[in-house]
Amino acid sequence: MRKKLFIALVLGLMVVPFIMGTATAKTLKIGSMSPLTGPYASDGTDIKNGVLTAIQVFEEAGGIPGYDKIELFPQDTACDPKQAVAAANKLINLEVVGVVGAYCSSSTIPSSEVLAEEDIPMLTPASTNEKVTDRGLPYMFRLCGRDDDQAPAAAKFLKEQLKAKTIFIVDDKTTYSQGLADGVSKAAKALGMEVVEHDHVNQGDKDFAAVLTKAKQANADVFYMSLQGYSPGALMALQAKRLGMTSQIVTQDAMFQPKFMEVAKEAAEGVYLTYGFTDTTTPEYKAFEKIYVPKYGAIAAYATYAYDAATVLLQAIKTAGSTDAAKIKAEIMKMDFDGVAKRIKFRENGDSGSSYIAYKIENGQFVPYWAPEKGLLK
Amino acid sequence: METFIQQLINGITLGGLYALIALGYTMVYGVIQLINFAHGEFFAAGGYVGVILLSFFTGLGYMETHPILCLAAAFVLTMGYCAFLAIGVEKVAYKPLRRQSRLAALLSALGMSIFLSNGLMLTQGVYDKAYPGELFQGGINLGMIRIGYLQMMIVGMTIFLLFGLNILVFKTKIGMAMRATAQDKIMSSLVSISSNRIISLTFGIGAGLAAAAGIMVGLYYGSVRYDMGFLPGIKAFAAAVLGGIGNITGAMLGGLIIGMVEIFGAGYISGQYKDVFAFIILISVLYFKPTGIMGENIDDTRV
Repeated sequence: MRKKLFIALVLGLMVVPFIMGTATAKTLKIGSMSPLTGPYASDGTDIKNGVLTAIQVFEEAGGIPGYDKIELFPQDTACDPKQAVAAANKLINLEVVGVVGAYCSSSTIPSSEVLAEEDIPMLTPASTNEKVTDRGLPYMFRLCGRDDDQAPAAAKFLKEQLKAKTIFIVDDKTTYSQGLADGVSKAAKALGMEVVEHDHVNQGDKDFAAVLTKAKQANADVFYMSLQGYSPGALMALQAKRLGMTSQIVTQDAMFQPKFMEVAKEAAEGVYLTYGFTDTTTPEYKAFEKIYVPKYGAIAAYATYAYDAATVLLQAIKTAGSTDAAKIKAEIMKMDFDGVAKRIKFRENGDSGSSYIAYKIENGQFVPYWAPEKGLLK
Repeated sequence: METFIQQLINGITLGGLYALIALGYTMVYGVIQLINFAHGEFFAAGGYVGVILLSFFTGLGYMETHPILCLAAAFVLTMGYCAFLAIGVEKVAYKPLRRQSRLAALLSALGMSIFLSNGLMLTQGVYDKAYPGELFQGGINLGMIRIGYLQMMIVGMTIFLLFGLNILVFKTKIGMAMRATAQDKIMSSLVSISSNRIISLTFGIGAGLAAAAGIMVGLYYGSVRYDMGFLPGIKAFAAAVLGGIGNITGAMLGGLIIGMVEIFGAGYISGQYKDVFAFIILISVLYFKPTGIMGENIDDTRV
């Protein structure tokens, strides 16, 4: 009896690794990195929701062969480089096969280097700073556009459409906002416009009265607002209006969030912003809208890009039939399809191109207004 | 000159808000020598309760018919709610530690701050909540200078609350009991003043003032967010220290100074140094006059 028990025990122990092996092999683990707490938590949550939607769509379509389910490990970066690196290390320990993220360029850049050491593909839906893809990391991909495309497009818009002569620039000193503000400043000067002043505010500020009073006094043609996230942007637009500032407000992709209008209310009307062109009439967009909106609410800046990023990753794993980074990359480079946010085709450095146009906020909606090549739309 | 006056108005508005929050720090410190780091969260909670009540009133349609009444009701209910919240926090997080070292209570306060701010995030979500409608949005234009009705309301409310507090502390029996407890807990309990009740009351009043500041910030800036308590909390703490922690008049003055310095620093030098100026003032006061400009305990003004 004892002997039988012993044999049963040994057999049992021998089986354990196999059971465990098959159990883990059947879950495909992917990670996401975005700020889920802190001032940019809303945009970060949109990214997580976009990835979750992509997983849902894949699972409903039968999943990925060889895996029972796809599991997402959402990590919080809080837009803090240190926390982003810690999150990347955690995802490495969890043995994820790919990562969608991060949001802030200042998080994406250091964390991508950690992931690169382990050959884990990283697809950022939102980091627009040039350095993200310019460092030559083999498995770094970007779904959104680049700041050195956005800044000239914005400057061209200011010059050709708004006929601006003087600009007052404000940024909040993040890698993204300051990089973009510097880019716009440079491009504007090259086009012969005068930058009256380039001032900075702090992240997390609520009160912009001092800077806005200065801007009102300067009375530039355009007030260019480069802030990380819609929340300080909405506050700034609202306070500018209350102070009676008459300069035209022009801003950028981080404000592409329906919440911007909700908070800034009528102060948002007539604000222009540059953002990658997304055709909201395509069947892909409509299909995404149908799944996303009932579950997570209005579609904001980076939900579509996060969805596309996750789709690219999962589709590459599916067609490659492998989670090997080199094979995933080979599949990603072959891709050429209509995503939700835009046409997806990657270049050698991991960029997928950008199509910045100017939007105007009219009646609480983002309306495509002007494109660099076509001029005024409609 | 116009810019100067405009910045002065901006500074007074901001300073008034800091003063209201700073009072809570200073009163609690006066009574139990605890720096209540969770105080900023009462301010955030006030902003949220305010938006919930005002949205509710707007939904019922009362906001259009009786705006002043609704606003007054929102203020009273929010201040009451936050007062009870603070009393609860005191009972849970500080009272059991009253006989322990001060450091234990301080750490408990930090923990409570994180708990409350994350609690707000989980229950209210990560998105900004917009205050309903356009309440008192207009303003008066005097040449280039613009004074918003809301700025007037904030300054008016602040003065009203500060006067009310002064009367409460220096003219009533309760105030006398508070001052007595602040000076000597054992002695005051010998003359039948319940120190527990006084401590609860102090927390309640401080949080009520912070809650009023929370609604005003919500109205003025148009929205509230779960993490809004952190930075103003730190600034108000700086204001309380600047004025001499424990000193009520000092906290009011400290709040105004910090607000002014911030606005003028941002307006005349650069916006990026706004916070730096506030804290430079704090550091230099601590260096040259560690008891703050009004001193810690002059003429019984400690609470």
